[in-house]
Amino acid sequence: MAYRVLIVDDSPAMRSFVRRVMLLSGFELSTCFEASNGQEGLDLLRQEWVDAILTDINMPVVDGEEFLRRLAADEVLRSIPVIVISTDATRNRIERLLSLGARGYITKPFLPEALRAELETTLGVPCE
Amino acid sequence: MEQVLEKMFFIECLGEPLEFVSGPEVVAHLTFEGDPSGALTLRVTAGAARSVAADFLGAEESDLSEQQIGDVVSELANMICGSVLSRVESSTTFRLAAPRIVPSESEAGHFPGWAPEPGGSPPSDAGGRSSTVHAVMIGSGRMVVSIDTETPAWSTAARSAF
Repeated sequence: MAYRVLIVDDSPAMRSFVRRVMLLSGFELSTCFEASNGQEGLDLLRQEWVDAILTDINMPVVDGEEFLRRLAADEVLRSIPVIVISTDATRNRIERLLSLGARGYITKPFLPEALRAELETTLGVPCE
Repeated sequence: MEQVLEKMFFIECLGEPLEFVSGPEVVAHLTFEGDPSGALTLRVTAGAARSVAADFLGAEESDLSEQQIGDVVSELANMICGSVLSRVESSTTFRLAAPRIVPSESEAGHFPGWAPEPGGSPPSDAGGRSSTVHAVMIGSGRMVVSIDTETPAWSTAARSAF
C-alpha cells in the first residue's frame, strides 16, 4: 500500500528535503502534498484526503500548535495522524505538542530511516 | 553543528579552518527568544553554500537559483540554532524567528573577534553580552556560526553544544 502525505512547512527547501527523504528511505509514498503554513494545510485538507501529516512548528499565519488545535477540533480531520518535525527538542515543547494531538515527533537533524520508522509506526505499517 | 551537516546535508566536516578564507559569502541571521534571548548568524562561503544546497535538495549545483541557495542556508541556520538551544536549554522552551538572508557586509555578518583556534573561539564578553563562534571547513569552503546572547555565562554551555 502506498500513502498520501501532506508536508506543512514554511521553508520550500525543507519541504523538498522531506519529500526526497521519504522517497530515499523506501517509504511507500503515492502522493505528496505541500502547504507553507497551517492555514494552507487546512484549506488543502478540505479538498484532498491524506493518510498522514508532517508539520513544522514555527510558521507564519497558522503555526504548528494552532494547526494541531484546529485539526483536533474538526470531526473529520482529527483522525489523520500528525507527526511534528522540529529543531526544538526541549521536553516541554514535545510534551505540549503531543498533548495537542500529535502522534509522533521527530527532531532535526534526523536520518531518513528515522523518518520512515516514525511514519510507519504512526500509520501502523506491519514490519517486513 | 557537525551532526546537523552529516545527517541532514550528507556533508562531512573537515575540521576547523587553519587560516582565514576570504571571498563572497551567504549570510543568514535569526533571533531567538528564550532564557536567554539572542541571535545566531551563519556565514557560508558562496561555493560551499551552493554545494550544501545541492546536497540538501538533491539537485545539480548549476541548476540552483540564488533563492534556493538562500532558502537552504536559512534552513541550515534554523537547524543549527534549534539544535544548540535544545542542548543548552533542555527543559525550557525557546522560540526561533524566521531566518533571513542578509548582505554579507552588513553588521550582522561581522565577527571581529573570530580567529582560527582549536574548538572554536573562546566565549567573549563585551558589555555584558557574550558571543560564541564556531568555524568548520566543509568541502570547498568555510562555515562560521556565531551566537550572541545577553548572558555571558551561557556562552560556555553553548560552545560545548556545538
